[in-house]
Amino acid sequence: MLATALLLLSVSFANPAVADAPPASFESIAKEADQARQADRLSDAIDLYSKAVRLRPAWAEGWWWLGSIFYEQDRFSEAEKPFKRFIVLSPKPAPAYAFLALCEYETQDYSRALLHFQLWAKAGSPGNDALLDVATYRWALLLTREGRFNEALLLLAAKAQKLGATPSLTEAIGLSSLRMAFLPEDYPQERREAAWLAGMAAFYCLKSDFPRSDEFAGRLLRHYGQEPNVHYFRGTLLRLQQKLDPAAEEFQKELQISPRHAPALTELAASRVEAGRPAEALTPARRAVALDPKSARAHYILGWALLETGSYQESAHELEIAKGLAPESSRVRFALSNAYKRLARQQDYKREHAAFLALKDKDNVLAPLEDKLRAPRGTGRPE
Amino acid sequence: MTAPNILVLMACFWAFVVPSVAGLPDAASTPQKPAAASRDTSKFAGLSEAAGKAREENRDDDAIRLYREALKLEPAWKQGLWFLGILLYDKEQYPEVRDLMRRFVAEEPEAGAGWALLGMSEFQTREYPRALDHLQHARTLGLGDRKEMAQTLFYYVSVLLTRFEQYDDAMALLMGMRKSGSSGDLLTEPVGLAALRYPLLPAEIPPDRKEMFRMAGQAALADEAQKPDEAERLLLAMTTTYPNEPGVHFLYGVFLLNIRPADGIKELERELEAAPYNLTAKLRLADEYLKEQQFDEALRLAQEVVGVEPDNASGFLVLGETLVAKGDLNRGIEALETSRKLRPATVRTHWDLLRAYTSAGRVEDAKREKEEIEKLRRPDTP
Repeated sequence: MLATALLLLSVSFANPAVADAPPASFESIAKEADQARQADRLSDAIDLYSKAVRLRPAWAEGWWWLGSIFYEQDRFSEAEKPFKRFIVLSPKPAPAYAFLALCEYETQDYSRALLHFQLWAKAGSPGNDALLDVATYRWALLLTREGRFNEALLLLAAKAQKLGATPSLTEAIGLSSLRMAFLPEDYPQERREAAWLAGMAAFYCLKSDFPRSDEFAGRLLRHYGQEPNVHYFRGTLLRLQQKLDPAAEEFQKELQISPRHAPALTELAASRVEAGRPAEALTPARRAVALDPKSARAHYILGWALLETGSYQESAHELEIAKGLAPESSRVRFALSNAYKRLARQQDYKREHAAFLALKDKDNVLAPLEDKLRAPRGTGRPE
Repeated sequence: MTAPNILVLMACFWAFVVPSVAGLPDAASTPQKPAAASRDTSKFAGLSEAAGKAREENRDDDAIRLYREALKLEPAWKQGLWFLGILLYDKEQYPEVRDLMRRFVAEEPEAGAGWALLGMSEFQTREYPRALDHLQHARTLGLGDRKEMAQTLFYYVSVLLTRFEQYDDAMALLMGMRKSGSSGDLLTEPVGLAALRYPLLPAEIPPDRKEMFRMAGQAALADEAQKPDEAERLLLAMTTTYPNEPGVHFLYGVFLLNIRPADGIKELERELEAAPYNLTAKLRLADEYLKEQQFDEALRLAQEVVGVEPDNASGFLVLGETLVAKGDLNRGIEALETSRKLRPATVRTHWDLLRAYTSAGRVEDAKREKEEIEKLRRPDTP
């Protein structure tokens, strides 16, 4: 509550469409409301803005300030209605989507919060830095809760690069890294140390400080190496360091603990392709696809392995499935264009190569958030 | 920590903690909105009076129902928000208490107890960043002279400070609580966590290392109580039982530095074998080497720290001191100036710079540092 005042931002208000004639007292009440707000008499301001919007329900600015004051006081359920009204009335409602989503997060209306975060992102994620930070953080928490771990990590990694290893961020990164579909408020307390250690290991890996990352990862393995997802996580860190064989060993250890761990199978296959042994990738990649047929990445890795082993027809088939699941992925388009090229399908090759060129700069930046996050849950995409 | 005790205190001392509304009769003089119908006013008066009576007669369920009904008529009724909050806290209805207290502090922003109850509720709903923020605000506003209440508040603040990696602040608060008479048993695990620098709450301690944190806490409390033999016995047992856990050799080493520096150095070196990136240990070791005039060792460690963390003010401080001690005045001053820039309020840095500037004949700069030291030592300096 004390910190959220920073989030309040001025928005430009168009003239509200006033349907009915303004009651005589509206102007004076609105003026008093503004004065009360500016003088930090927030209770008075709430009363006055409430009166004003009762008199003139189309007064978008009044709804905005009413929502903002409730939000500042952490009165999230009360803030929702004003923000909703503002969204309906304002020609430029985009920042209110983020505030509404933040309120819905707090009132545990998670599906609506996700929807409104998406609408906010689609509008270009407007708002000041404080809003951007808190909104993307909460959004990432919700994505983690939904099991969309890599999308969450994409958002969190960008925040961590900017803000450093803050305790809240490392905890969130740790939850996603260990594929724990929980919010920080509701995961089992006995997993706290594991989440912290994983978060720190991932953070330093992101910073390319690999020795430090290894120290935290080592502690994680020592105490939690028998728990699901820990070896998988370690494998992903090693892959980022291009230590492909040790990474593959970790994925195999994960599979001993969790035999049906499709992401571990996928990454094991990816490590083998990257290590120049695509034939060894085929079995785990096929198993991954069988276990998680909606995973674009699993199809992509299988398609890539087939491409590298000369099975172009089958490769194109798998990559076409991957493309259907994740049309925005430049990597899939690139691999598919290569498959078509080998199959001498010139027109298809040109089309996919052009798509690759158009998409290639959007893989590692936050700009196309809406593209990355548009697809509904379960469609999967290369991660 | 059991909640009811503190809540009884909070309820009893309503008049102390919320002075501006303390004189209000329960209902009769509570202002009504001009638009409220007289029937509602009368109904509210009846409900609020009945709620207060039920509460006084310990008919909590009746009181809760009546307070809720009254608050529907008068949502900003401060006494109603407050008493309903503490009744529900007692029943562990933390999300509702949290929401009530948010409304309460919006009406009564100077009420430290309101912020405290809000923060305690948020602690229970595991909204830890907010909880710490609001409990610290309660601390700033104060709770009157209610010692027990303050101790409870300090407990929550200290464990949250540890979870947010503010270990030194947590430890200072915990030791202050011990001196004020808080039970050692209550503080053992929080002290152990802060001493070993693990960002966990007591409830989050892994069962396989509960004893490690207890030993660390008992040792730190024994040391604070001037019982070095007991502290050493515990620390030795801890390092023997948990030789590979980060933090244990550091804690023992820091303890030994005060009594047997050579042994302390060995323990800190062991710590760096177990946790090479324990920069706090590395820096403490560098500091000790500096005291022992082993400048090359001190320099190596300090350079490692600032190499890994270019914003580590303490790292630049020790680096600067070492360089100056080695006679490299220019680079020493440069490192000290970096430290000052990163953390301007550290008196030790200004003293170092005062001496270094004086040695370098930079009279004006030395004078400025002296003024800065005097400024920092003034009691009103934040």
